[in-house]
Amino acid sequence: MDTLLEILNPNFLLRNALYGGLIIGLVAPAVGVFLLARRLVFIGIALPQVSTAGVAAAFVWHTYFHGHLNRDVSDFVLALVGSSILTFAVILVLALLERRGRGLGEGRIGMLYAIAGAVIILLLASDRVTEIGVLGLLKGEIIAIPDIELLILLLGYGTILAVLTVFHKELVLVTVDREMAISLGKRVALWDLVLFGIIGVTISLGVLVVGPLVMFGFLIVPPMIAGRLVVGMRSISIVAALVGAGIALGGFASAYRLDLPTGPTDVALAGIVLAVVMAWQFMRTFVFRTAVQ
Amino acid sequence: MTDALISFQDVALGYDGVPVLEGLTLDVHRGDFLALVGPNGCGKSTILKGMARILEPFRGRIVREIDGRPVRFGYVPQREAIEMVFPLTVFQVALMGTYGRVGPGRPVTHADRERVRICLDDVGLGDLQRKLFPALSGGQRQRVLIARALAAEPDLLLLDEPLSGIDLGAAQVIMDLIERLHRERSLTIVMVSHHLKMLREHEMVREVIWVHEGKLLRGSVAAMLAPEAIVRMMDAEIG
Repeated sequence: MDTLLEILNPNFLLRNALYGGLIIGLVAPAVGVFLLARRLVFIGIALPQVSTAGVAAAFVWHTYFHGHLNRDVSDFVLALVGSSILTFAVILVLALLERRGRGLGEGRIGMLYAIAGAVIILLLASDRVTEIGVLGLLKGEIIAIPDIELLILLLGYGTILAVLTVFHKELVLVTVDREMAISLGKRVALWDLVLFGIIGVTISLGVLVVGPLVMFGFLIVPPMIAGRLVVGMRSISIVAALVGAGIALGGFASAYRLDLPTGPTDVALAGIVLAVVMAWQFMRTFVFRTAVQ
Repeated sequence: MTDALISFQDVALGYDGVPVLEGLTLDVHRGDFLALVGPNGCGKSTILKGMARILEPFRGRIVREIDGRPVRFGYVPQREAIEMVFPLTVFQVALMGTYGRVGPGRPVTHADRERVRICLDDVGLGDLQRKLFPALSGGQRQRVLIARALAAEPDLLLLDEPLSGIDLGAAQVIMDLIERLHRERSLTIVMVSHHLKMLREHEMVREVIWVHEGKLLRGSVAAMLAPEAIVRMMDAEIG
């Protein structure tokens, strides 16, 4: 409790890291609901990796042509540009393949994941300074987030949340029954673009703050927990967002108290919550069956 | 004819750039009750998807207009096409039918929700609104999808194999329901089906289109589904 009060104090030194985690914990699961519903989970694994490869490529490019950067705003913007360009380029190619009816094939996405991972390691091996920065990102060490980065995150994720809320029914329709959406005269290509755009911004921005592992964790685990607790896409989105925010808060407090890296603590906590919910459901079913017999 | 809801004019349809059917010319008129029949893979569902805008023609033209406005479709896909990672309730599935009429970003109104309840009552599932869709039987799921299509307030109901994979009793209930909707709501209906006997037994089915080697053979139920006609078509299919 003391830890919680300490980290919630407005003067807490690492408050931006907490706020950043909370923003991602709140919004990423709401996006993840659509990733799961549309059976794009593997995309949820591969894209954060691609995004990180974009960050590494941007840093190495800058080092090669302009020398090393300091940890400041231009550093963040450079990483965001690298992350966004590669993420959106890959999303565009995948969306085109899907529209041509060739599907997103597990093999294709698996290959993407492997290649992106190899690119990250090769780029890092070529530049020691970039290696240290990106390794922190890979470990998910959310420590210091400057005010301007927090503001960019807040604006980006705030916009995503607004789009998800306002256009919820359109996004649900193209996710659950694409053919029905077309027959109703909906512009499915446009809504696909909106959905893939949301996924792209969520991942390319989020990866910069929490890294690929935590990003994937927040995209997938809270929606899985919510899907076991409530019914309906809107209810699941709301509960997933609340669960994600709760995990971000609980994970940060635990990591701070136990001196652990924040990101992996968040993901481990999400796994524990999922296990508890599953165990509770199993027990409930068991008790019900026993009572019936 | 001026009352054609759908008009295929020398149309080629298919997938991934490969035409499955070519040179299709076909009109569906207001008040029609048409059944598309033929062996598996002959292109029945492809034609239905062409009608519903899901497939656009490679060549030719499909006109889908009524009184100067686009035709409103109530599309009922094959039941297996709806696979949900997160299960929705019966009401939530049926509610999706209203999304075509409600503009982007606008909420579904109370009147729309009321209309969905009426549609569920119409298909005899008014008391199952809160049930999870995947927990229903095949026949009940099919009726939910019909209610969803009705919620779109369609000019034309398109049903893709609504009787497949369900027992005879449930198939009879669905066929009676479709027939009642055609009669009471004056709904134009096009359905894909393999149940030739059931089509023959329902007098509201006016015409049958037999899809045979890429050609459309159209005629009355009596002529197209007479036992000797079926034997002739089957012989031709088998070669």
